Amino acid sequence: MKRLLFVAILTAGAAVPAAAQNKGKRGFVWDDRPTIVFGEDVNIAVTGRALVEWRWFDTDLGENLFALRAGRLGLKGDLTKHFDWEVEREIGGGDLSNDESRIEFGDWKDVYVRWRTFDAARVKAGRFKIPFGLEQNTGVSELDFAYRALGSRTIAPGRDTGVMISGELGRFGYEAGVFDDDGDNAESSEIQFVREGEDLKDVGPSFAVRVTGDLFRALPVPGRLRSANVGVAYTIADVPEGLNSLRGASFWGTEDFVERVYVKGRRQRYGAQFDWSPGPASLKAEWMQSREQRNGQSNRDEDLSDFIASAWYVAGTWFVTGEDKDDNVNARRPLWKGGPGAIELAVRYERLAFESASKQGTSFTNPRAQFLTPNSDTVVTAGVNWITSRWTRVILNAIHEDFADPARTPIVGTTSFWSGVVRLNVVF
Amino acid sequence: MASRTIVAILLTLGLGTTAAAQTSDDLFNPEVLQRLDLWLNSSDWSKLKAAFQENTYYPADVTWNGITVRNVGIRSRGLGSRSSTKPGLRVDFDRYSSGQQFLGLKSLVLDNLTQDPTGVKETVAMRFFSRLGIPAPRETHTRLYINGVYAGLYGLIEAVDKTMMGRVFGSIGDNVQNDGYLFEYNYVLGSAWRFNYEGSDLAPYKARFDIRTNESRAESAIWGPIEELVRLVNNTPSPSFESTIGPRLDLTAFVRYIAAQNFIAENDGFNGYDGMNNFYFYRLENSTSHVFIAWDEDNAFLQSDYGITTRNEENVLTRKTLELPAYQAQYFSVLSEAADSAVDWLRQEMQRQLDMINDAMVSDTLKPYSNSDYTTAREALLAFPQARITYVRCEVSKQTGATRPSGCQ
Repeated sequence: MKRLLFVAILTAGAAVPAAAQNKGKRGFVWDDRPTIVFGEDVNIAVTGRALVEWRWFDTDLGENLFALRAGRLGLKGDLTKHFDWEVEREIGGGDLSNDESRIEFGDWKDVYVRWRTFDAARVKAGRFKIPFGLEQNTGVSELDFAYRALGSRTIAPGRDTGVMISGELGRFGYEAGVFDDDGDNAESSEIQFVREGEDLKDVGPSFAVRVTGDLFRALPVPGRLRSANVGVAYTIADVPEGLNSLRGASFWGTEDFVERVYVKGRRQRYGAQFDWSPGPASLKAEWMQSREQRNGQSNRDEDLSDFIASAWYVAGTWFVTGEDKDDNVNARRPLWKGGPGAIELAVRYERLAFESASKQGTSFTNPRAQFLTPNSDTVVTAGVNWITSRWTRVILNAIHEDFADPARTPIVGTTSFWSGVVRLNVVF
Repeated sequence: MASRTIVAILLTLGLGTTAAAQTSDDLFNPEVLQRLDLWLNSSDWSKLKAAFQENTYYPADVTWNGITVRNVGIRSRGLGSRSSTKPGLRVDFDRYSSGQQFLGLKSLVLDNLTQDPTGVKETVAMRFFSRLGIPAPRETHTRLYINGVYAGLYGLIEAVDKTMMGRVFGSIGDNVQNDGYLFEYNYVLGSAWRFNYEGSDLAPYKARFDIRTNESRAESAIWGPIEELVRLVNNTPSPSFESTIGPRLDLTAFVRYIAAQNFIAENDGFNGYDGMNNFYFYRLENSTSHVFIAWDEDNAFLQSDYGITTRNEENVLTRKTLELPAYQAQYFSVLSEAADSAVDWLRQEMQRQLDMINDAMVSDTLKPYSNSDYTTAREALLAFPQARITYVRCEVSKQTGATRPSGCQ
């Protein structure tokens, strides 16, 4: 019940009209969110978000149907023009149909401080997202779909603790960092086996680098395409022995269509991204791949071929109400002024696949096989986004999943599943 | 040149003959002490031993007689026999590739023999059952090597599964009779059960009868007939017992099974000391009839004067079946038949198997008993057959009023 109350308070907060904004003042102001301004470039703002959703499945997968997908509260602010910082923590999500009396804090999200004196070299330290993956590095409230693509959730590493330098150099941007582990999405599942005389090893440290740029500006391409942004990314980390590989979870996470395999050695990720937003439309695409070594992991302690996870997606959106697709979409005819708000259509086609580098002989599903039986999940998501205000958005998605191996799906023998989700995002 | 060609042809034929000759009968040949090699990642073997109470599968390669099967699944198995030093193992050839078989087998069991200091009770008992026409797995012994290191003497046991059902029940035309419902009886610790009716809810039967085939069928189709059988056994009066139960349980085969089990003085079987234990139960394909399949007889040959009607009154099914004069007569008849069958066979078979395994047993440093214990148990076992034959014959004559044979006290 208190979770519902939390959602209601955030929704009410977000309903405060934009007129309450008051730039230049000191003390308490509403600058997109509740903010205390102490002086020029010194302030503290309260951030919050609640993502409430109702899900529908054509086959019972045992999932919650009405859930607080994510609730977060945080603080962010500026410390002079040289530093900014953020602290954000999750508030336990879960089934809203249960009358639970407690709100529990969950994982820490972004917790960092950044030195930003020079655009060419900013330094960030703390816990934040590793620079890999266009969609993974897009905030959940800015996503074009209710859920990120499978590759963004599986191969892209997500958050970790580390230090990163980033900046802009002409048409190019860069990010390079070193991190304690290898991201939340790649957390190990098994208590690592330690042989006599060996020390317990953690995943990592990992190193990541990403370069993005308006490459098309330098090419003889049509004018609108010149605004497209492209990028490449790479990470590398040590992975200790164990069932520590990436795994293929179904879209709703109910079952693994590829379970973890034994790995030992390096995990490398390669990524490429494309981001283009001409006017009211957008086109985004990513390709990413991870290769994990399996040194000494065969049934006879010999090296196995690399375990490979590959993913890609292509996603397009279009504001039927004509708004420009940028970071801060403002409805031309806002709902609170009697308009329809901003309405956007979106579609995404994606695949996440797993295989071994070796394809010789008979394939097996066992976690120490040289030739692993491949499997993949191909997903089509089509949806409508209704942006009712700067802080609230309703997302409606229909999702179709199709697995390659009928023996490894959420319901064995059934390869295709339809599901749907209606999401209310409240973010400030 | 010609001689080389001939040699090459002979070698090819020879090798071809060897490969072609190897069948599951060769693997379970009771006359041969086999050697089986398991190759698995060294960390997995350590993990399996550390977590021997869990049924976690680990991938492995198996080599027997020059044949290697890759990427099978092995796990720790057993109830009281589970061990961290000498784990009992189940080997599933199709665990990671649904079509993979080994000599036509999907699985086999490696019995760690930790509950039998003689090492041969299980294998002798199953051979004896087979002589008496009771469905039982094929078995022999094997030296087991893990990653090239001797891991001890094991029983090499045919898994009771669809493959075995096909072997035992054969085919009707082209249809192998192995699509029935196979159950492994699950001994529930602290809840001794003697075929008493436990109500119409299927849960108690589901807990005691683990389904091993047709797992995806509706619960009512799987356990409903068992609930019905137990209910009818408990509620049906003697006059209509045979006509009611007969279509649902092969009573003749059942009496044969419990009589044979009594002859070998198995104290932990169907009429066991703590209720029913150690058997499989099979509902024949397209039939309502069930039969019992022998399993795990390593507590056999307990003592030669083991009463021939021990606990027959305690188990509802046994009691009500043997209340019928025809089945009571059959029971004693099977006991006599078992005694006759044992006369020229049982001791010799025990001796042969003991001789076959002796070196492997003595050099097995992981067994949970000493070589001195083994020697003592071996002598006690060899004394069993003659004393048991005499005892059973005397007791049967006492029960049936037949002429008492010589040697009775």
